[in-house]
Amino acid sequence: MSSAPRSHQTLGDTDTLAFAKVLADAGFGIDVGAVSVHVRSDSKLFARQLQSVYAHFPLMDRAQWADVHLTINRASGFRRLIRPQVILQCDGRQPFEPFPANAPLPLFEWGCNWMIGQRLNDLLLLHAGAVERDGLALLLPAMPGSGKSTLTAALSLRGWRLLSDEFGAFNPDSGTFRALLKPVALKNQSIEVIRTFAPNAVFGPEFPNTRKGTVAHLAAEPDAVERRHESARPGAVVLPKWQAGSPTRWEPLTENVLFGALAFNAFNYSVLGATGFRSVVRLVRQCPGWQLVYSDLDDALATIDAAWPQVRERQLAAGQ
Amino acid sequence: MTAKPWQPPRSLAWLQALMQPHLALDWPLAEWERVVRLSRRLRMLARLAERIDAAGIIDRVPPQARRHLVAEQRLSRWRTGSMIWVLERVATTLGEGSYPLVLLKGSAYIGQDLAIAAGRLPSDVDILVPQAHLAEALTQLKQAGWREPELDEHDRRYYYEWSHEVPPMTHPLYGMELDLHHNILPPVARIRVDADALLQRLRPSKWEAWQVLDPVDQVLHSAAHLFFDSEARDRIRDLVDLDGLLRHFADEPDFWARLPARAHTLGLTEPLALAVHYTQRWFGTPIPGDVVAQVASLGPGRLRRAWLLPLMDLILTPGEPDAKPALAQGLAANVLLIRYHWGRMPLRLLIPHLWHKMRAGAANGNTGATRPDKA
Repeated sequence: MSSAPRSHQTLGDTDTLAFAKVLADAGFGIDVGAVSVHVRSDSKLFARQLQSVYAHFPLMDRAQWADVHLTINRASGFRRLIRPQVILQCDGRQPFEPFPANAPLPLFEWGCNWMIGQRLNDLLLLHAGAVERDGLALLLPAMPGSGKSTLTAALSLRGWRLLSDEFGAFNPDSGTFRALLKPVALKNQSIEVIRTFAPNAVFGPEFPNTRKGTVAHLAAEPDAVERRHESARPGAVVLPKWQAGSPTRWEPLTENVLFGALAFNAFNYSVLGATGFRSVVRLVRQCPGWQLVYSDLDDALATIDAAWPQVRERQLAAGQ
Repeated sequence: MTAKPWQPPRSLAWLQALMQPHLALDWPLAEWERVVRLSRRLRMLARLAERIDAAGIIDRVPPQARRHLVAEQRLSRWRTGSMIWVLERVATTLGEGSYPLVLLKGSAYIGQDLAIAAGRLPSDVDILVPQAHLAEALTQLKQAGWREPELDEHDRRYYYEWSHEVPPMTHPLYGMELDLHHNILPPVARIRVDADALLQRLRPSKWEAWQVLDPVDQVLHSAAHLFFDSEARDRIRDLVDLDGLLRHFADEPDFWARLPARAHTLGLTEPLALAVHYTQRWFGTPIPGDVVAQVASLGPGRLRRAWLLPLMDLILTPGEPDAKPALAQGLAANVLLIRYHWGRMPLRLLIPHLWHKMRAGAANGNTGATRPDKA
């Protein structure tokens, strides 16, 4: 947005030492669509981890504007010898506990998402995976453990454009969804499921023993990065539920169920007050919704693909 | 009464836009970025947003900054609404009429529609009841679903024997903490405030069930809250509150005559002297010259001012968003922490208390980083 790309050079094909120096000195701007983040760090390891999961993002100078400013530095003093840690700072404050020095990326991702969830009250932030096709957003709201991120990751690797695996970022003024293109955070068995599903998928390192078990981040596809400023109109809502050994079940949902799934699972529904209520009402009126119980990822995707033409027709007709 | 020019520290010059919102339209984008970051940390971003919105110029703010003003304004209005809801429910719970229910601090400013009520970010509700009715109020609140936090034996004793409030209560329905006070300073403090004297001069708020302190007492409470508290870093909002209170109540009959006298009666001359010093010097708060002189003669002596004011300067001046926390500010904060505890507790209580806090702090990793929302 306000940042000047350095001759379209991406983070992935920048020399790590050169990038580490940029990161330590002026810092680095990551524009993920609806938000730009400025990050600085003295950790070379973090530079390498950022390169792996933001590989297709342009290498940018210090942006003119950032919405979130994070510094992730190695803790000083004796700590470095005994139990080395990294510390996150935001605007001169340390809002979270330190992480082990080898895990700056999860600290960055977690801290960044927390800041986004706190600050972006200009948008309605649904807690949902979001992907796009035909200019229409498919939302996957769900509670943790329901396989939301797994399904979002799988869709993003089969032709759907990833908007976000965490935030359905709805702009109440324009009535469209915006991208918050952070890497998809996969946990525990999901990591292996997606590696098997798409052997060429690009992952960052695996971090065992986080509060949520093992975490690995899936890099966004080049097309999703390229188009991260393209909004998507509301398309459909699918409530995923992963259930071991279950056959695929696809059942339509009523408006009132959809309302609860979107509103009461959101980050800032109540903060937005009447605007939040009207936005969710608008979404459930506009979007058909289904419950998707699945164990077989390919079959789940085929089911969504089969239902999609009907969604596209309906939204095209509504748009005219 | 002459208004002096604004002479705040460099990192606070942007606060002038609270009085003259149009000044903000001259800020280049880099200054907007700095102000958004700094004011958010100081919990002043929504106040700035409300002022700019009220002046009708929010559409002229650069869009990158405007979205943050709008976002924080929404957060502030939601939290303020939540607070008003809690006050309505608590008034029903405690029953109306049998004893006075008093709003303190932010809830009182909102209950009087003061200019400083706009853009607050309340995370707790401060109320006061007469000590004779404290146990009764506590029982009623518990019956209505308010819960006390789980405390270890030390903290429990701290609150019930040495403090001026019960431990902050929470409720499953409301995202707000309730701080129930029976005084504005702890009863064991070297400076002992007579709560009955406060209760004798209550005034109506805009809600029938709730009253507020006398304007003079509101100022003194705000000053004591800031200058007797354990942590004065990043507390610029309290200084802005003091400026707002002094400006708002300036026209009350006898306000300026009563202020120093009341401070003397309640033993709050030092916080008042500091409040007058900083609001006048930094924000140009219009205060009559004879009041300034009188307050100065009642307040801390020359020797005490010589070490107290430089420390306060250092602590009240916020660091830039990208600056590392200054070592000197940390040291100054520790010196004032000792002063705070010295004033608050006799030594026989203080030493065991600090020992306990130190041990508890070490056991928790002592990062102070678990509650970013209340920071």
